[in-house]
Amino acid sequence: MSEPQSALLLRKQLAELNKNPVEGFSAGLIDDNDIYRWEVLIIGPPDTLYEGGFFKAHLHFPKEYPLRPPRMKFMTEIWHPNIEKNGDVCISILHEPGDDKYGYEKASERWLPVHTVETILISVISMLADPNDESPANVDAAKEWRENYAEFKRKVARNVRRSQEECM
Amino acid sequence: MGDATREAEPRVDGKDAQVNQDVLIMEQQRQIEEEISDAIPLVGAKEDLLGTLEKEYISDPIYSMKAKDLSSKYNSIRRTRPDGNCFFRAFAYAYFERLLTCKDDYKGFYDIVSKSKDDLIELGFPQFTLEDFYETFMEVVERIGSGDMTQDELYELFNNQGQSNYIVVYLRLITSGKLQRDADFYLNFIDGNRTMTAFCHQEVEPMFKESDHIHIIALSAALNVGVRVRYMDRGDSAQVIAHDFPEGATPAVHLLYRPGHYDILYEQ
Repeated sequence: MSEPQSALLLRKQLAELNKNPVEGFSAGLIDDNDIYRWEVLIIGPPDTLYEGGFFKAHLHFPKEYPLRPPRMKFMTEIWHPNIEKNGDVCISILHEPGDDKYGYEKASERWLPVHTVETILISVISMLADPNDESPANVDAAKEWRENYAEFKRKVARNVRRSQEECM
Repeated sequence: MGDATREAEPRVDGKDAQVNQDVLIMEQQRQIEEEISDAIPLVGAKEDLLGTLEKEYISDPIYSMKAKDLSSKYNSIRRTRPDGNCFFRAFAYAYFERLLTCKDDYKGFYDIVSKSKDDLIELGFPQFTLEDFYETFMEVVERIGSGDMTQDELYELFNNQGQSNYIVVYLRLITSGKLQRDADFYLNFIDGNRTMTAFCHQEVEPMFKESDHIHIIALSAALNVGVRVRYMDRGDSAQVIAHDFPEGATPAVHLLYRPGHYDILYEQ
């Protein structure tokens, strides 16, 4: 076979997303010669603290995609209970079955081969709107979200402002 | 902000030790998986049953006895890689191999699988990825039907990671579809307070998840393919007990179950 199935499937998805963009994000490649590394721009979902922000993130797909999940990392600074301070996204559907690094999650939400870039991003956007604060990736953000919401809001507002400046 | 500066940022939440340990465990797990995959092909060559099992159980009287019983009914075995997908891979290989020579079964099977995609889309599976798995699966089925496939080619195809795993994924989806469609019936067989959809997301659709009876019942019913499983365990019966799925069906596929693993059996 000339090209692995994973590359073909990613190429097909990219073409489809360019032809029929999905509301809430745009997607492209970091480097046109590498189909396994994507850059997405997520528009802060309306009616959330992140509204108005433009958050850049990278998706790294393994050669075994779609049998194994991609990793996702925000490049724009973002304060959120389920995103590590270094930008790594800790969302359950990006974890393989049996991968219990984040043992708190319900197994029902693990990676499935039927997931696409679109379904991943829909989950991430819904996570922005609705953080899961049980055993979070960013403990400080989760604590603030629960106990000092005003400060949490202030930090996110600063993220949004900065993200707009970076995009200009 | 550049990539490097973010990566270098020190962690301040004191979780380092914990995370590192988990990472180590995961790495070790990955390493074990790799050792297995280096040592055992996805689907192995046909081996003489008695010779193979007698060697394996030379110092184990119970298993030796059962190997003998088994060899009165079967003469060959074909091993599959123990990667959690063994039931699905063994099933697919054994049945496709049968279809190479047993043309009478082909039409009925083709009709069932060719309309399976629409059934799954109707159940809410994302069309985009579903189609990808479906097309790879059907390409293989159609090649078998048109006579454009030899035994050797089938063997090669099943040892090609990409195609082999796509076939497994699609069988998992068919199984999930059947379980969800007939959830009222199958819910009786699962424990806990899970919905059938949750069960399928946890135990059926993810790759590398081991199969249980419920998977076998659902897949054999969905495809109308009889499966006979021979159970080789520590029980004190001299016989290797058989279970047929669905109950009463004529078996088209024979599998050997040893705790945690399925291989393919060939009748005399």
